[in-house]
Amino acid sequence: MERSWASMEAFEAFLDDGGVVEVDDDMPDAYRQAVFAFIEMHANSELMGGLTERDWIPRTPGLRHKMAVLAKTQDEIGHGHLLYMVASDLGCKTRREMLEDLFAGKSKFHNVFHYRAKTWGDQVAISFLVDAAALASQQAVFKNCSYGPYRRILKRIIAEEGFHMRMGEERMMLIAEGTEFQRTMFQQSLDDWWWPALQLFGPDSKPEDVLLRWHIKSERNEVLRARWVQKFAPLLVSYGFTIPDPGLVYHAKTDTWTAGPIDWEPLKRTLAQSGPDSARRIGEAAANWTDTYWVRDALDGTDQAAGATR
Amino acid sequence: MITPTTTAAGKQVRAAVATVDDPEYPGVSIVDLGLLESIDVQPNGDVVIGLVPTFSGCPALAMIAKDVRQAVAAVDGVAGPRAVDVRWLASPVWTIDRVTDDARQAIAREFTVAVRIGDGPVPCPRCGAETTEDSMFGPSRCRAVHVCRSCTEVVEVMRA
Repeated sequence: MERSWASMEAFEAFLDDGGVVEVDDDMPDAYRQAVFAFIEMHANSELMGGLTERDWIPRTPGLRHKMAVLAKTQDEIGHGHLLYMVASDLGCKTRREMLEDLFAGKSKFHNVFHYRAKTWGDQVAISFLVDAAALASQQAVFKNCSYGPYRRILKRIIAEEGFHMRMGEERMMLIAEGTEFQRTMFQQSLDDWWWPALQLFGPDSKPEDVLLRWHIKSERNEVLRARWVQKFAPLLVSYGFTIPDPGLVYHAKTDTWTAGPIDWEPLKRTLAQSGPDSARRIGEAAANWTDTYWVRDALDGTDQAAGATR
Repeated sequence: MITPTTTAAGKQVRAAVATVDDPEYPGVSIVDLGLLESIDVQPNGDVVIGLVPTFSGCPALAMIAKDVRQAVAAVDGVAGPRAVDVRWLASPVWTIDRVTDDARQAIAREFTVAVRIGDGPVPCPRCGAETTEDSMFGPSRCRAVHVCRSCTEVVEVMRA
């Protein structure tokens, strides 16, 4: 393959035409950096999400859900693995550099993993609301993503995330039809997680957003966010729960729901690694990395350096 | 035991089971993945379906059983979901050679996932060149992660 383009205009015309970039292509550096940063953040989020999921294996109620949480942990870590491979092929950072940056608090990962899941209700809210938000934003990338290797990996990831979503729905219905204690617990979780889940989509897309211009993403943040509200607000209300948004409006004429004004300060704090649980999360991920050096060392004998720093 | 090919009812039930896709491979039927072992249509119209899991700890078992029950319940002559009994069998053990050629091609084409038979080389689903194992553990118990030596594609490999 190894195609190249005479100018950015020619490259953008190729992308506008539905062109798909492959790893060997001589892509413009700005595009390479943008795709890399996007995939790196996705990889980091899968890893951080997997570590959170893992914490819930011993505490998950019931054998069936415990099996599902076990499998989901493996899924998330596996997705992170695939994504780190695709990202490192771009030649911006090695897999190891990405991990070290993450554990040093220098890299971004999704806002929702900067909060603490305190109860099983929180886990249900995460597997129901947050997974749906993550899936919706991944689908918007996958549909027409201009970077081939990422698009192909995403197709598999989405199929698996869809399965998590179904588990999340089942858990939500179980808890919604459960005891008063369970319903109270879930309402509390909804109060805590509704806004972080909604903010996962990010603020309104700017006109100059290169992710849209270069067809890395195919839908605007605010469109995805509005669709998510439209799906989950009526569903949760129909189960008798209260959405913690005093500005939420139901428009009877068009049968649509719109969210009230959004306070973006919490999102900004998570992006600066100073969310409510950022320090503990990053610290635990870093400790996990050093604690497991012997496994990597036993497998390929290349991890002496990491061992020595312990 | 009435095998699905000998009676009209058995054939209908088999066709209904074949409409159920693997939850992680939309578009690929569980029958083509080799999960269907037996169909028993009893004289009163009750149906017993025997399925084999790819591995016993698979988290999708309940979901697949539910989808199968729903699909078979809709077959003419079956008296609803209560007349359908879906059983996960402890034997035979599922092996990778139960996956049909069509399903192998579909998951290679649609999901860039290769199927490994025995210890043989694993060709890249994208370019056909040989792949190297990056990790024996992938996102699922039944998959490893390989990388193509030629086009560098990241390939998941379904294995027994």
